[in-house]
Amino acid sequence: MTTESINVSRLFEKWILDGDTKLNEIDLVLKIKEYLESQHPEICGKCTPCRDGVVKMEALLDKYIDGTATIKTLNELESLVINLRASRCSVGLDIGKNIEVVLENNYHVLYKPVKKY
Amino acid sequence: MANITINDIPVKVKNGTTILNACKSIGVKIPTLCFIAEINEIGFCRICVVEVEGEQDLVSACNTEITNGMVVKTDSELVLESRKNTLRLLANKHKFNCWQCPKDGECEFYDMLKTYDITFDEFGPSVGRNPEVILGTGISMDQSKCILCKRCVAVCQEVVTAKVLKFRDDDGLNPFVSPTVGLAFDETGCIFCGACVNVCPTGTLHETDHVKRVEAMLRDPNKLVVVQPAPEVQAVIGEEFGMKIGTPVKEVEGKLYRALKLLGFDEITDVNSAADLTVMENANRLIDRLQNDGKLPMFTSSCASWVRYTELNRPEYIENLSSVKSPHMIQGSLIKHYYAPKYLKKSPKEVFVVSVMPCTSKKYEIERPEMESDGVRDVDAVLTIRELSKMIKRKGIRVKDLEDYMPDSPLAKLTGTGSSIPVSCGEMEATLRTVSHKLDGAPLEKIEYKFTKGSPMNYGKGVIKEATVTIAGNKLNIAKVNGGTAIKEMYKRIDSGKKQYHFIEFMTCAGGCINGGGMPIVHDIPAHEVIIKRSDALYRQHEQDLPLRKSYENESVLKAYDEFLKEPGSEVSHKHCHTKYSQKEYRNE
Repeated sequence: MTTESINVSRLFEKWILDGDTKLNEIDLVLKIKEYLESQHPEICGKCTPCRDGVVKMEALLDKYIDGTATIKTLNELESLVINLRASRCSVGLDIGKNIEVVLENNYHVLYKPVKKY
Repeated sequence: MANITINDIPVKVKNGTTILNACKSIGVKIPTLCFIAEINEIGFCRICVVEVEGEQDLVSACNTEITNGMVVKTDSELVLESRKNTLRLLANKHKFNCWQCPKDGECEFYDMLKTYDITFDEFGPSVGRNPEVILGTGISMDQSKCILCKRCVAVCQEVVTAKVLKFRDDDGLNPFVSPTVGLAFDETGCIFCGACVNVCPTGTLHETDHVKRVEAMLRDPNKLVVVQPAPEVQAVIGEEFGMKIGTPVKEVEGKLYRALKLLGFDEITDVNSAADLTVMENANRLIDRLQNDGKLPMFTSSCASWVRYTELNRPEYIENLSSVKSPHMIQGSLIKHYYAPKYLKKSPKEVFVVSVMPCTSKKYEIERPEMESDGVRDVDAVLTIRELSKMIKRKGIRVKDLEDYMPDSPLAKLTGTGSSIPVSCGEMEATLRTVSHKLDGAPLEKIEYKFTKGSPMNYGKGVIKEATVTIAGNKLNIAKVNGGTAIKEMYKRIDSGKKQYHFIEFMTCAGGCINGGGMPIVHDIPAHEVIIKRSDALYRQHEQDLPLRKSYENESVLKAYDEFLKEPGSEVSHKHCHTKYSQKEYRNE
């Protein structure tokens, strides 16, 4: 295992075990983005949900960083994450599962900053 | 047999069936983008996903086999949402300039977006995945429309076996499909058969546009624009205007000629009599080779794709190719150098010849440097059937409502237009009939073909039919080869030297020209059924009405020989009806 993947595993252990994360929203978003970027070399480019979905998810997370996220951004993010269940191999499926856990445990963190109207 | 449940309906299907086929058997159609039966079952696009009870994730229906007791849901919320999201992601990387798309209403991707009523919130249609346009004389590629379904790659690799298009995924986030990077199609091993164009679900791969040239010439008052449709055009043009597949030629022919007249073509002919000329010249070459120990087997050379394949990949067989040009090139040359100056008082340079073909490689053929006489190109433009129907639609012509018309201009009469005796399928038989007539004056015996590769029900994988005929005491081994895999197989058989062949007809497209790269696109019906229906329209109905084709009795051909070409194989005929082939370099990486 590379240092990077060990870091990522630790991160997820923390997220999964520690349901109520102490991270604030920006930190959480940055961590998710970091994780997604770390998966880029694994993506083979064959199936749509993973190849195009991951990049799109990053673009949506950027909206959180810019402070322009709306409720639509969150909905879209959610649907893209669930769509990763349609991936062809475990790369996409694993990314999807990990982010699903994050969303489940930290939905309120991502929900707080969005503009509701 | 296995018992499964699809959407709460119990179904009994054979073991080994895919979910897709199992659903099809009860009338549930699962949408697909990358799927082509038996050729591309790779599950790339993830449009065909379904929910299977007990599985955590969605599975692709196209390449997952059923197991006993499986419970499948094809329309659950999860499935529909996933489909919509995948389509949204694909649309985000697709350039939507649909009004000028060469696919012209046949876009499967667009239809699917419509079916699923896709809306865009956070991201919408964009400028495309990759702005690059790859050009070629026969086909071109606009990568901004590519949705990476990989159908073209599968067809190029497995069916045509040219192995030009490749899926390049060095960068997994930005993969693309292209021939050798940085090269135009002409510099690669592409043979322009157009199989990729036919399977592309979007307008990414398309025939190189000749409509603009033709329309410019139609407006030019100083040009005599002559159009020469291939026999296949009459058999299928109706499909583009709401007629059934397989509508008899007789019902369409007159309307087609009327539509061509309304489009503004000055002269209408067709390539029938030139096809007879090709037969006469081929027969002459074959007799010459048989009597003077020439290079055997002789290969027909009407299929431009196949000629290019040989030039690129098997240069040692170039001498086996018959030197005769394809019919439309011969007719183009004759119209410019014989009919127009003699009967219409026009110089070759004032004439603009347009062929309408079921084929994209003819566009490449007319650009070959050898295809000219006295510095004048034989044919100036080639329209595919799709392009012609686009022109007709643009002009607002309602083909179904047109009255029949038969061209009666001097040129049409001279070339025997309207005799509607299609030839392409029977090029070899017609040649042998002429050879038999010339050598011993006897009619040709009935040829009984035996399938030695493939079967009529599976044209997709290539077909080889072999037979033996006796002409003037000589036993000739003949063969008909259709499809890329069949061509390779045939070369292997010739290489092995186990059997001496004498005459072989090659066609790159499985099923022959009737399944060519410029034909109207048909979804939902298996390829072999389309081929059979179209062949019925073109050939069978004629067999009943008309006697066997005897090229050597065609009056317009005899007249052409009498007045201009002198005799088969003469110096003039060499200039206008024959050509040369040479080895060509290419890079496939």
